[in-house]
Amino acid sequence: MSKPAKIKSKVKYDNCAYAMIIPAYFVFVVFILIPIGFVIYYSVTNFNLYSSPEFLGLENYLKLLRDEDFLISIKNTLFYTVFTLFPQLAIGLFFAIMLFRKSKLIPFFRAAFYLPNVMSMVCMSMVWLWIYDPTYGLFNMILKNFGFSLQQWLQDPKMAMPCVILMGIWKNCGYSMVIFLSGLSSIPSSLYEAASLDGANSIRKFLHITWPMLKPTTFFLLVTGIVNSFSVFEQINIMTNGGPLNRTTTIVHQIYRRGFLEFKMGYASAMSVVLLLFSIVITALVFKFGSGGQDVEVS
Amino acid sequence: MKHRKVYHGIWVVLMTIASLVMLTPTIMMFVTSFKTMEEIKSPVFHLIPEKFSLVNYIDALASGNWLLYFRNSLIITVSAVIFSLLFNSIAGYAFARLRFRGSKILFSLLMIGLMMPAQVTMLPTFLIMAKFPLAGGNNILGQGGTGLINTFVGLIIPLVSGSYGIFLCKQFYENFPRALDEAAEIDGAGKWRTYFQIYLPNSKAILATLALTKGVAVWNDYLWPLVMTNSDEHKTVQLALTMFKTETTIQWNQMMAAAVLIVLPMIILFLLAQKYFVQGIVTSGLK
Repeated sequence: MSKPAKIKSKVKYDNCAYAMIIPAYFVFVVFILIPIGFVIYYSVTNFNLYSSPEFLGLENYLKLLRDEDFLISIKNTLFYTVFTLFPQLAIGLFFAIMLFRKSKLIPFFRAAFYLPNVMSMVCMSMVWLWIYDPTYGLFNMILKNFGFSLQQWLQDPKMAMPCVILMGIWKNCGYSMVIFLSGLSSIPSSLYEAASLDGANSIRKFLHITWPMLKPTTFFLLVTGIVNSFSVFEQINIMTNGGPLNRTTTIVHQIYRRGFLEFKMGYASAMSVVLLLFSIVITALVFKFGSGGQDVEVS
Repeated sequence: MKHRKVYHGIWVVLMTIASLVMLTPTIMMFVTSFKTMEEIKSPVFHLIPEKFSLVNYIDALASGNWLLYFRNSLIITVSAVIFSLLFNSIAGYAFARLRFRGSKILFSLLMIGLMMPAQVTMLPTFLIMAKFPLAGGNNILGQGGTGLINTFVGLIIPLVSGSYGIFLCKQFYENFPRALDEAAEIDGAGKWRTYFQIYLPNSKAILATLALTKGVAVWNDYLWPLVMTNSDEHKTVQLALTMFKTETTIQWNQMMAAAVLIVLPMIILFLLAQKYFVQGIVTSGLK
């Protein structure tokens, strides 16, 4: 009878742990956890900052389905995510493999590739705004020098999104490279030696050793990359403001516009919930299929 | 042997070209910041400005209250870094080393912050700030004033806790030998003393990494200050830079000069502490 009690008394709890986590946890609860609850609540109301919220049920969500701007913004966000993330990972992996060797030049190259990542998106948006400027910009200067016809870049509805994507790839591929480099350095060299003895060429080595061993790294980059790309906003707001013809508007840009410029808090909250669902679903899918049975420690 | 040298030569050339391409926008930012508007507008493109002059920098700084903007950004960045380091590392220690009821659930909940874009909660967080009780003229119910809008507290608080930071610290402390804790216990040190006298002094590597990641992120942040401030008084450098983008002709040279001043601290920090930048993200999530 007394046995379970005895075992229980043996486990010593450190109650001071609560005091240790409370500063961080308080901020987390007040500014992340509670807001998640609020955003779900507001999304079923017509809250507009001035009058008290009235319950609307799913009306906001039904309205979203008919909101052309929002539907375009989802399409744009997905387009941006796919066409930024995959090239960025591919280029990052390529640079990482190229730099995975011994040379005195490595620190210089690595710094050159990684530098865009530490400079602010605002500043870089301004620089690229100039690069894409139709009259004084770098790209049109180059085209003019070689006698090609000039482009409108960000003002051209067809070109605007690819322009934003190009800048995104430029800014983030150095980050992927550094993570891939660390992944490469954790592969034991004995694997390659064994493969060499078996007469494997470098392509087979890549396919059968490097790529499988880099799976956890790729997986990590994919998950964090999706969350980051889904929230693309700064360069959009600065460079194009969603235009031309809504070709570059994104989900967060719509949330910002509806919520903070038009004060339709309820409606913008419904958009936020959609963004939340999107991130959860896609992250879950990547977890389910992406980890491929590998042990990926995330928690 | 000869083959090797040829390969190496090709490699050097290829990588140099790639580096230069990657650096072009940055180089162009510096170059343009020294040019006159006439030179920018001229149809002939010069890589090197005809004459170097700092006049753009002087004009750019005179265009607004830039000393204030830099001071604001500095205050926000430094306080966010200091508080987040302290809070996150101590929480990471508790999750890594202490036994307490609900620790698993509490930690899993924290990880929501890693999986969710922060922008999802931007609206309600803003409203919580605006309605914060007993701040900025608000009564206890959070009505009547502006709350924490347009205050440093409001700009800083949401940044001081980070799921990412707690996660990294936990990973880091889990690799500490258990013998350390046992030795401390035998010496009669409580958990607080164990943390402050053994763990904290030994976590320079992770703290440097976290400080750099956080510092760069906060200095570069645009959306949160944009939402939280509407006066000149609390404007950050990133917000101030967007003032150069006007409907009429943009003063590219002044804009680039200001951009250079804003990114320069980050570039210097990066070049000085490259090791920690690289090392830091290496530990992130990858064991």
